[in-house]
Formats: sequence, structure tokens, C-alpha cells
Amino acid sequence: MASAADKYIRLEKLGEGTYATVYKGKAVNTGEILALKEINLDVEEGAPSTAIREISLMKELRHPNIVRLHDVIHTEKTLTLVFEFMDQDLKKYMDTLNTQGMIEPQRAKWFMFQLLRGIAFCHDNRVLHRDLKPQNLLINQKLELKLGDFGLARAFGIPVNTFSNEVVTLWYRAPDVLLGSRNYSTSIDIWSAGCIFAEMYSGKPLFPGKTNEDQLQKIFKLLGTPNEQIWPRMSELPEFRADWPRHLRQHLQTRVPALDYTGIDLLGRMLMYDPTQRISAKDALQHVFFNDITMPHPGLHGPYPHSIPSPAMTPQRHNGVAAVNAANTAAYMNQLQQQQQQQQQIAVQQQLQQPTPHVLLQQQQLLQQQQAFQNQQVLQAQAQVLQQQQQALQQQIHAQQQQQAFMMNGRGAGSLQDAAMSMDAAQQGGMGGQGYMG
Amino acid sequence: MAVLSFAVDPSKLSLQNSVLTLAQLECTPSADDGLPTALEQELRALGCEFIQSAGSLLRLPQVAMATAQVLLQRYYYTASLKLASILDIAMGAVFLAAKVEEQQCRVKDIVNVFCWLIDTYRGITTRVETYAIGARFNELKEGMAAGEMRILCKLGFNVQVQQPHGFMINYMQSLDLAENEELAQTAWNYLNDGLRTHIYVCYQPSTIAGAAIYLAARMHGVKLPTAPPWWEVFDIELTDMEDIAGHLVALYSRTPSTGLPLTLDELERYVDQIEAQERLASATLKP
Repeated sequence: MASAADKYIRLEKLGEGTYATVYKGKAVNTGEILALKEINLDVEEGAPSTAIREISLMKELRHPNIVRLHDVIHTEKTLTLVFEFMDQDLKKYMDTLNTQGMIEPQRAKWFMFQLLRGIAFCHDNRVLHRDLKPQNLLINQKLELKLGDFGLARAFGIPVNTFSNEVVTLWYRAPDVLLGSRNYSTSIDIWSAGCIFAEMYSGKPLFPGKTNEDQLQKIFKLLGTPNEQIWPRMSELPEFRADWPRHLRQHLQTRVPALDYTGIDLLGRMLMYDPTQRISAKDALQHVFFNDITMPHPGLHGPYPHSIPSPAMTPQRHNGVAAVNAANTAAYMNQLQQQQQQQQQIAVQQQLQQPTPHVLLQQQQLLQQQQAFQNQQVLQAQAQVLQQQQQALQQQIHAQQQQQAFMMNGRGAGSLQDAAMSMDAAQQGGMGGQGYMG
Repeated sequence: MAVLSFAVDPSKLSLQNSVLTLAQLECTPSADDGLPTALEQELRALGCEFIQSAGSLLRLPQVAMATAQVLLQRYYYTASLKLASILDIAMGAVFLAAKVEEQQCRVKDIVNVFCWLIDTYRGITTRVETYAIGARFNELKEGMAAGEMRILCKLGFNVQVQQPHGFMINYMQSLDLAENEELAQTAWNYLNDGLRTHIYVCYQPSTIAGAAIYLAARMHGVKLPTAPPWWEVFDIELTDMEDIAGHLVALYSRTPSTGLPLTLDELERYVDQIEAQERLASATLKP
């Protein structure tokens, strides 16, 4: 009989976790480079439940944005999981950047798109990841991002069972889980993805809490202390307290200045207090933020991507920036919402006709088609002169809005950010461990 | 050294319950091994009974007990009863199901509960406080760990089980039957008792849920919509429901035998005895 050693050669150690050791490995037959996760079997506790979950779920999930589990080798004392090899995890990648962890916007958008595609696939297959964090997102030279470490993942069905609330690393844990909710669902992963979204654009964790309570307070300080109006039935949660200090909601852009206006809108939808109002991964992929998605220059260590021309850097966009008042913002929001609804309808129609394409090129074409179709619809609906004028006005506002966002983009790592960054720098190292780890 | 490699059909996701073919159903590994079909059925039912009782004593939720029973049923379609005792697999299944369904369950507690169940089944009364020590404890514990690993390996870690209970509640609500508590309880009981039959490895949970409602409604004389037939709305075949109902009804006419073999040694002796009796019977029948 073959053992792990006969099929795979163990190369250098990549990291060590609480219950497993990860090695770089090579398949004897094909020479393919792989990651070998070795789990020691405890005589007392039998197979670790994390390993059981990880194997039973991951071997079924085949998707370009999910780390592939190729093989499982079981011997008397160890269980070896054979994964596809990825160069590093997102946390380490951000640490190595000379921009204090900030990922260039176009590249971050590409990562975010892939992250959401991976999550959407999991949720489509009734799997909750429950532990999304930069350490568990693996990337390679081709700038592919894949979800790894399904040690805390769970299959969900109907009815939603009472789950453990000891899930997700504190910083990425949703407020409903922090408040003791046990019947969470897919929205738990969306919150984590939102936190990662902000972290990629700002270079620092959005809510680096130290304890459960501290975590909640950090969230409240940015998003405002929630109440029954914005989060119905929140007072029924076990950890709810009526005497929380009242914080007002801050604008998300103050914390993530590098993110443009549409990105801020998407982030806001991912970080909704009420889990039922949090956007789904599928809808997030259809958000206008991803309309201009392009694959950035490949190679993790290539030239720093500021040298790649991005739409934000073209000169004419910087002209004539005007102040945009609150009324204009509201008008723009309406338009944005309208666009989104139409787009979602079209997306549903198209999905009925054809399966969701995984290839980016096809995705892009789809988005372009949607855009064209939607423009046509908007024009038809607003045929009257008065409305046309209104639309023209709105478009102007839109342009202004974007210009403003892009200006902030350009200024990027300004003083605002540096101040906040030094504040959180000390807490960054705490939650290490490679992405394959439990 | 046991080595496991799996190959899955990449075109198909199988977080859904895997369903057996007729050939697999008719020719089980135990039957291949020369075990009488009736004995196999009784042992499977006994293993499930043990799981259900142990689960109640351990205060596990029904979903964990149901998962454990499905795992036991699935396992014996991949390996013979002569390879691993019904006891080891039943214990291993409880151990494993508790992990899969995220229930805290101590090794010691499972072993103690099974210890008590075995003694009760054999008609032995032992003092409770003497259970968790000595060679017997270790023997049972090792059997449980081995049982768990056998299930994992044979099922290729395919241990996610979709249960019909949720479907049934949904269906009953849409049929306006949720208020009828008696009916709901009967249907619920069918789902749990049905775990002792092979219906969970032959049909998808939605079909099983429909069948439980179908049978319970007939038992209580409740009329369900026929135009269009209610099962069509839920995409269930009438013939499937009738088949499941047949197995469920048969379950209640069965008289459980006592003194069934729990360990491999006992099984061997038991089978020898049956064969000796058969030889004797055929010898006396011959002129």
C-alpha cells in the first residue's frame, strides 16, 4: 500500500497551526508542487472536527476561487490533506507592500471580485465559510485569489440549525454573532468580506478589537450605535445591552479614503447591522462598483501598479471639481439604486437563459450588455423633456461625485490615514498563521 | 496502514445525500460475505436503536442522532458486518455525528452510555459508578475511535447528511397542517423511526418528508388536496411515497429479536449456530 511518502515528497515547512503543520510538497508522479497539511490524530478525541468539516466540504467545492483539495491520505497517526499550492496569503502579501499594506485600487478590486465569487459559490452550495480573514485568502503569481481553510465551515440546510457562535476571528466577526446570535446564515461571511474589503484599500484592519466588547465598540464608533429602527429585533439577542454609549455614524470614506464612491456604497451594503439587509455575494458581484472590472497586471512582485494607467488617473477627470451638497448626494443615491435594481433584474433574466460564466471575459461582456440594455431602458423611461433635463443634471452630479471620489483616490495615503495607521499598527501581528491552518 | 484516496465525479456536487442504486441495495457487502439478509436487517435496526437511545441519554438533538443513523446505514453499504462490529460503528457514528452537527459530547459520556445500553440489552444490571474504568472502558473507547475512522474512510469523508425534518415542516405549513399537532407528531415519528430502514439511503430528504406526511394523513384520515395532487406541487412521485410508506408500515409489524450478536466474535458464533441449525433442518427433512 502507498503512504503519503510514496505519492508526495515533503519539501520545506510552510507554517504551523494549532492542529496541523503545512509543508510544501511535490507529487512523485507529476512533479506538481502542492501544499501538504499534516494533521496529527489524537487518540482521545479521534479525528479533529475541523479536519472532518474541511475535508467533507472542500472536496465537493470545485471553483477557481476556492483552494482545491486534491487528495487525502490517512495513516494510523496522521491525516494529510493535499491542496493546490498557493504562493502566499493576503495578510502576508499586504505586509510586504511598501505602501503600508494598501493594495493598489485596481488590484484590490480584482481581489475583491474574486473573493465575492468564491463566497457566492460556497453559498450557492449551502456552505458557510465562517472564518474569512486575510490569512485564509490565498493568492498566487497570477493574481488569483482563493478561499482556504474551511476548518470552521459548515453546511447549512433548512431549517437553519443553531450553530456555534464561536466562529470567525474577532476582527471579522459580524455584530449579530458578537451579540450571541446562533441562527446566522450567509450574511456572516459578507460582513467578514466587507472588513477585508476596507482593509485592502486602507492597509489596516477596519475593526481590530481586543475583546468581544471592545470589538462591538469599535464597530459602533464607525457605524453608529445600532437601534431597533435600523436593526429590528436586535434587542432580542442574548448579549444586547440598553446602556451602550451612543455613537453617531461616521462616513465610511473617512476610514477608507482610497475607495471611490461606488465602492463606499458597496462597503456600506456589506456592513449593514441587520443581517437580513446585508447584500448577498451574488448581488455584490452585480454592483456598479464592478462595472469597470479589469484584470490588473499579473505578477505579485511586478512594477508597483501605480504605473498602470487607471481610469482614475486620466487628466480630464480632475477638471472642474465642485462641491456636492447633500441634496445632490441623495439624488445620486437614488440613481444608483435604480441602476442596481434594473441590473439585477437583467442579471436574473440572463442567468435563466445561460449558466453563470466563470471566465472574467464573459463576465465583462455580460456587464457591458447589461449596461447597454439598461441605458436604453433609462432613455425610454425618461422620454419627456423635463425628465431629460433632470437626468442631465443627475449625470452632471454623478460626474462631480466621481471626480470628488477620484480626487480623494489620488491623494490616497494622506495624513488622515497615517494617523490612524500608527494607532492600529501594534495590533496587526496578533493573529498569524498560514491560510491552510486551523 | 490504511490509505484512503477518493475520486469524485467532478461534474456533480454531492453535498446532497448520495442515493444508492438498486444493485447496491440488493447486494450488500455483508450479503456478499454470506450473512443472511434478515440478520443484516435486524443488526442495522439494532445499531440504529442503540444510536437513538444513546442520543436521548446524551441529550443530543434529534438531528445528530439522525445523522449518526444515516452514517451507519451508509457505512454498511460499503463494508461488511463481519469487518467491523455493529457496536463499534454505532458508537463511532454517534461520536462522528456529534462533531459534524457541532454538539459538545465527551468521549467518556458516549462510552458510559453505550456500556449501560449493552448491559441492559443483555439483561445484565451493573452498578453505574463502576462503568468508566478498566479494560472494558478502554476496549469500548478504542472500538469507537476505530469505528469513526472506518466510517470516515469508507465514506470518503462524505459525512454531511441532509435531513428531511425541515422539508416536512415546510410542506406541512404550506398544506395548512401545522396546527394539527397529532398529525405533525405522527409524521415526525415516521421520519425518526424510518432511520432504521434503508429509505434514507434510497430517497432524497424531500421525498421522505412527503412520504411521512402522506402516511400520517392516511393514518389520521386527513384529506389532502388532490386537484392538483399535493405531492406534484412539491415535485414528489406518488410511487416513491408509496414505497417509503410500505417500508415504514413494515417496520411496525416487525418483532425485534433478542440476543443479537454485538461484537465480531459473537457474530461469528451466531452465524455458525444458524448454519448448524439449517444443516440439522435439511438433514431431518431428507428421507
